[in-house]
This record gives sequence, C-alpha cells and structure tokens, in this order.
Amino acid sequence: MVHALRRAGQRLRPGGILISIRPHRTWRPLVSIVTPSRRVSVARLINSAFDSRLSAAEAALARVVEDGQFTLAGIRNHRYRARLDNPSQVRTYLELINPPRPRFPAGRRAHLFELWGSRPRGSHIEIEESIVVTALRRP
Amino acid sequence: MPAALDISAYPPDGMEMRLIERFTTLKYKRVLEVGCGDGRLTFQYAPTAASVLAFDPDRASIEEALDEQAWLKIRNVDFRLGSIEHLPARGAPFDVVLFSWSL
Repeated sequence: MVHALRRAGQRLRPGGILISIRPHRTWRPLVSIVTPSRRVSVARLINSAFDSRLSAAEAALARVVEDGQFTLAGIRNHRYRARLDNPSQVRTYLELINPPRPRFPAGRRAHLFELWGSRPRGSHIEIEESIVVTALRRP
Repeated sequence: MPAALDISAYPPDGMEMRLIERFTTLKYKRVLEVGCGDGRLTFQYAPTAASVLAFDPDRASIEEALDEQAWLKIRNVDFRLGSIEHLPARGAPFDVVLFSWSL
C-alpha cells in the first residue's frame, strides 16, 4: 500500500491532493431494528480479514506522511444508514459487498430473526455504516 | 420487488462528493481514480472534471463502467483494466488522486 501511495505521488502535481475513502476501522457496521418508538441495536458486524487491510491502509497513509512525501490535509469521519424492509434484504445487502464480506457474530443473526418476529407494525431494519476520508497534500 | 434494487452498502449518491469537496473541488481537474470499480463514484464527478484516468483490476467491473460510459455519453474518462502498477511513472501530472474504497 505504501508503494501504491508513492506511485500515485509521483504523478501528482505539487500542491495536489490525494484522497482515500474507506470504511472506518473501528466503527463497524451496526444492525438495528427501528420500531415506531425506538431503535434496538442487534449486532455490530465483524470482518476480521478486512480489518487487517484497514489497519495496513492507515499505517501506509501515516508512513508517507512521516516520510515527507505528503502532508496531512485532514481527516473526516461520516456515518450513513441503509434502510431495509426485512431480514432477507439484510442477506442481499451483505452479498452485494465485495469479499471479504462482514458477517454477524455468532448467535446475533438468530437474535435478529427473533426480534424481527415480534416487531411492532411499521418497523424496519437499519444498517449504519461509517466511512473515513483522509486527504494528503503533496508538498 | 423494486425496493431490492435499491439495496447498497455504499453511501448514497453525493455523500462521498460532499466529503471530498471539503478538501478540494474536482471541477476542471485532472483526476486519477484508483479502484474505480464499475464507475459508481466516477460518474458522479466526471461530467465537471477536466479528465479522468480510472483503474480497476476487476474486468467485469471495468466492462460495466464502459457500458455505462457509452450510455451516458461521457467522453473525458479513460477506464483501464489494471492496478496503479500499470500507471506509467512519467506523464502529465494529476491534480487529484482518489483511492476510492481501494486502499
């Protein structure tokens, strides 16, 4: 990853900006059931294979700043929510993600079905995702 | 079931652009996008960029991007199959490099 950043830096004009958009490493996707009166957290999805890639990306971005090839222009975190009508759409949602895909911790998918089975009318499922945008500037 | 077609784990259209624009505009800029996939983000900013060189190592995604590019009649994007390793070390400099979900 450091090599990719350095390669990109070779073709970036002085003063140019390099932007990395990626999932947040620690704010993992949160699955909730939203009823007309409250939000019930069901599970934070896990993705151990992907976590190591995100750690490597952060380390690579820090490395090229330490090396002086870039300066840090800023970091922004942001959350967004996907609204799903039922647990089947949760499966579809996960299948549409490029591997390695996140998954439920043991027992939490069953918990989702259990809570969904007793939901009040007008409920839906939400998955809250978090992204981080890092901007580096070439001196 | 039309709702299923709207299911996506990616941010809603426009959200990433708003975050990018906190640091830089892409209007009239020469942009290198690494990991463009099927052009989901590319087509959001390409109409106002000066030019875009977009790479992705997945052949199917690049083919989808090319199909959509033809349909949208966007002519300032050069989609290429490959990774940043395929980027020549020399050439005209870019104003902005985007690693979109690829670093």
